[in-house]
Amino acid sequence: MRRDWKFYAQLGLTIVLCLFIVVPVVMSALAGVTVNVFKGLSSGLTLRWVFEVWDLYAQSILLSLGIAMACLVVTLLAGVPLAYVLVRRPSRMMRLFEELLTLPVAIPGLALALALLITYGGVSGYRSSWLFILTGHVLFTLPFMVRSVAAVMAAMDMKMLEEGAASLGAGFWRRFFGVIVPNAKPGILAGALMVVTLSIGEFNLTWMLHTPLTKTLPVGLADAYASMRLEIGSAYTLIFFVLIMPLLIAMQALADRGKRASRRIDTAEDTL
Amino acid sequence: MSTQIRLRNCAKTFADGTRALAPFDLTIEGGETIVLLGPSGCGKTTILRMIAGLEFPDAGGVISFDGDDVTRQSIEKRRVGMVFQSYALFPNMTVAENVAYGLKVHGVPSAERDARVDAMLEMMHIDMLADRRIDQLSGGQRQRVALARAIAVQPRVLLLDEPLTALDAKLRVRLRTEINALLRKLGITAVYVTHDQEEAMALGDRIVVMQKGEIAQIGTPREIYRKPQNPFVADFVGAANRMTGQMRDGRLHIGAHVFDAVDAFDPRHGAIIDQGAVELYFRADGLSPCDLSEAHFTGRVEAVSYLGERLRLTVSGIGPQAVTIDTHADDVIEAGADVHCRVNADRLTVFPAVAAHS
Amino acid sequence: MSSVEHIKEGRSRPSFPWALSSLIGQGTPGAGSPAILALLMLPGLIIVAAFFIIPMALVAMRVADGPDGLATYFVILTHDRYLASLIQTLVMSGGVTVTALVLCGICGLFLVRNRFAGRNVITALLTLPLSFPGTVVGFMVIMLAGRQGVIGSVTDALWGEKIVFAYEITGLFVGYLYFSIPRVILAVMASAEKLDPQLEEAARSLGAPTWRVVRDVILPGLMPGLVSSGAICFATAMGAFGTAFTLATDIDVLPMVIYTEFTRNANIAVAAALSIALGAMTWAVLAAVRVFVGNGATSGTGGGA
Repeated sequence: MRRDWKFYAQLGLTIVLCLFIVVPVVMSALAGVTVNVFKGLSSGLTLRWVFEVWDLYAQSILLSLGIAMACLVVTLLAGVPLAYVLVRRPSRMMRLFEELLTLPVAIPGLALALALLITYGGVSGYRSSWLFILTGHVLFTLPFMVRSVAAVMAAMDMKMLEEGAASLGAGFWRRFFGVIVPNAKPGILAGALMVVTLSIGEFNLTWMLHTPLTKTLPVGLADAYASMRLEIGSAYTLIFFVLIMPLLIAMQALADRGKRASRRIDTAEDTL
Repeated sequence: MSTQIRLRNCAKTFADGTRALAPFDLTIEGGETIVLLGPSGCGKTTILRMIAGLEFPDAGGVISFDGDDVTRQSIEKRRVGMVFQSYALFPNMTVAENVAYGLKVHGVPSAERDARVDAMLEMMHIDMLADRRIDQLSGGQRQRVALARAIAVQPRVLLLDEPLTALDAKLRVRLRTEINALLRKLGITAVYVTHDQEEAMALGDRIVVMQKGEIAQIGTPREIYRKPQNPFVADFVGAANRMTGQMRDGRLHIGAHVFDAVDAFDPRHGAIIDQGAVELYFRADGLSPCDLSEAHFTGRVEAVSYLGERLRLTVSGIGPQAVTIDTHADDVIEAGADVHCRVNADRLTVFPAVAAHS
Repeated sequence: MSSVEHIKEGRSRPSFPWALSSLIGQGTPGAGSPAILALLMLPGLIIVAAFFIIPMALVAMRVADGPDGLATYFVILTHDRYLASLIQTLVMSGGVTVTALVLCGICGLFLVRNRFAGRNVITALLTLPLSFPGTVVGFMVIMLAGRQGVIGSVTDALWGEKIVFAYEITGLFVGYLYFSIPRVILAVMASAEKLDPQLEEAARSLGAPTWRVVRDVILPGLMPGLVSSGAICFATAMGAFGTAFTLATDIDVLPMVIYTEFTRNANIAVAAALSIALGAMTWAVLAAVRVFVGNGATSGTGGGA
């Protein structure tokens, strides 16, 4: 417990890193609501940049949210059953498939986008719709949903639960929706938050896949930055933070709740 | 290696205010094996860590090794050997490297180092494991490596923190015997922490029984077992049966019977208990089955256990709860029958009756 | 129908459910029949096959469509420009990884070991950029070191000279560091929490001073976490696009080269070849780590940059 110079040196380094991360965030948030960014806060606060951003980019923002929701739905429908099969019936083929499933995360988004463009670039209706972008997002986020749900499923003794339910007469689908899925809720919830957060913030893939009609929030951000208007870029970034923050907090709270639950150990010591 | 350790006026209060140890004095003679015995949270591990130098006593406490004040000395300098409950073997080193580690740190030249490691491994019967990695070892083997590592540096005292708890029962008994023999052979001062009273009785030259941060009794195994100084010690070490009685003019009255040859000395007040209600504690040999003519009490046998060497009876109707009575294995006694017992007055420990049990 | 029933019925040619059941294994009571399991897997299978496996195969084939034919596969090594870009990217990613590991190693261990007011806040703040797209990271660098940046203002106030480096290689490095620190520090902290304090106490009881304890016990204990987070950091940096794109620096990292070849030069074969090379490299780094450190090590935070 002795606070010597080593402690303060490490604390100093940690604080420097923290400032490194936080200062630009705060600066851009402020710049987004300051009347005149060159004069600083003394020029007053205003929401007019935010409103201007909304006028310019409302469609992008809404499209991002829409795609994130759609992505969530697809990954739920595809991912939860997949996680079940992976955990319940592990085999070498399964592991190979899991490897393939996770590959889109290991490979740069640029390469994935290139592959999609080469393959489906000619299908004009699909290529120019938001579905094209959705495809990329699903490829990238599906492994996270599967991993999150599979982790929870692996931790709970599914075999025992299923056999118990079966012995009471429940058929497969009743067992699946009545026992397996409800018990996997923490994993599904964590996976859902992850998928939505990743989808909203996805850029590398989306930039390659987008068209002027299918711009998402991060694509709009890149546009705004390129336009060199600091206030617009900052205000838009602020909107992004505001969208992302509750998701991050929810994920952290979920993780903490999980940690606290597993720390509850039963001590059978009784005092004499 | 046979260092005398003295703790004077040592207490421990943690940062959040919990009082882990009340002030106490303890002298451990050189070469002695002392066992700290008690339930979880009684403070026994705290004392061990204070001797090691991982915790420091509150202001005013003094710890000395052979007269040298080591109270403020950190563990790196104290030259103790510690065996942890989880063995704490370094997974990135082989068995031989683990055992050699302390010697390396102290700068022992490599030739001598290798010789000492070999000698140590041989002594612990693990010389064939020298190049194995830790995760390839069984529990008993890890235990021996941990001991070898701690002893290799020729520490002033050996500190063992529940080293056998993680092993299964049979292995525990076997290793206990080995450790006992090893400690005797080396003549090293050893402090051994455990909650297992059988282990304590088998290993300790003296036992320190602890309860909730206080020392309940210090004594040899025989003293602890035969002459517990308070109900807690009586209850914790060995089967404890209870009966109620009355002291009148220095004689013990239980029901209609009167007994003279009773040790009614109360160490807490330093006087013989002359009068008043008393609680009587006794082991499984405090009562013996006999003929009706000699009997003091009659009870009903609730259960009979054949333990090979003796017959263990659970008898109701004599004390406030069922009592355990051991008798010869060849006696023919059946559950449900009545049994007549006589009291062996010299086996009784007398405590003043208290309104509520602590 | 189980495979047994098929055989009993005298069917000798394997049917689809039977083939699938060999993929999934014999049905066990409680797990659902192979047919149901196949149904459950179907959506995922279709997605992976149609939108990943087939496209990647097509990319591989498109490489050979270029004017140089099969030689295009090695264009990353044969052409100076691409080789230079590869080396620049490797050096940049390696440098960022080492820097991040050292900084986060110290701070991560410190945060896990010490309790003080505001510790949780600092941890939360340090992991903020995990979800930032690369382009936002680029903007953050501009905030720090651009023409109106805070560093420039500070140096101007202190020494009268405004230091602006957002659009140079230093700026790119800082940007890469910005998205690497949160990833690495989380992994280091997770690893540090799993360290057994008794190991350190054992080393100390044997007389080891602090530096020895760090070298002989702590670092080896942290090594799996450091290696896996280092690999993730390296792979992410290799594939990072948004940051370099936003900062539009002179340095041509590999993703930028791929981008320009594809969009500006319509050089699809080369872009495809470079993509495969890049993808193979990042995958190889992560796979190697998994072999040495075990699964679960690379299941860390997601998101490209």
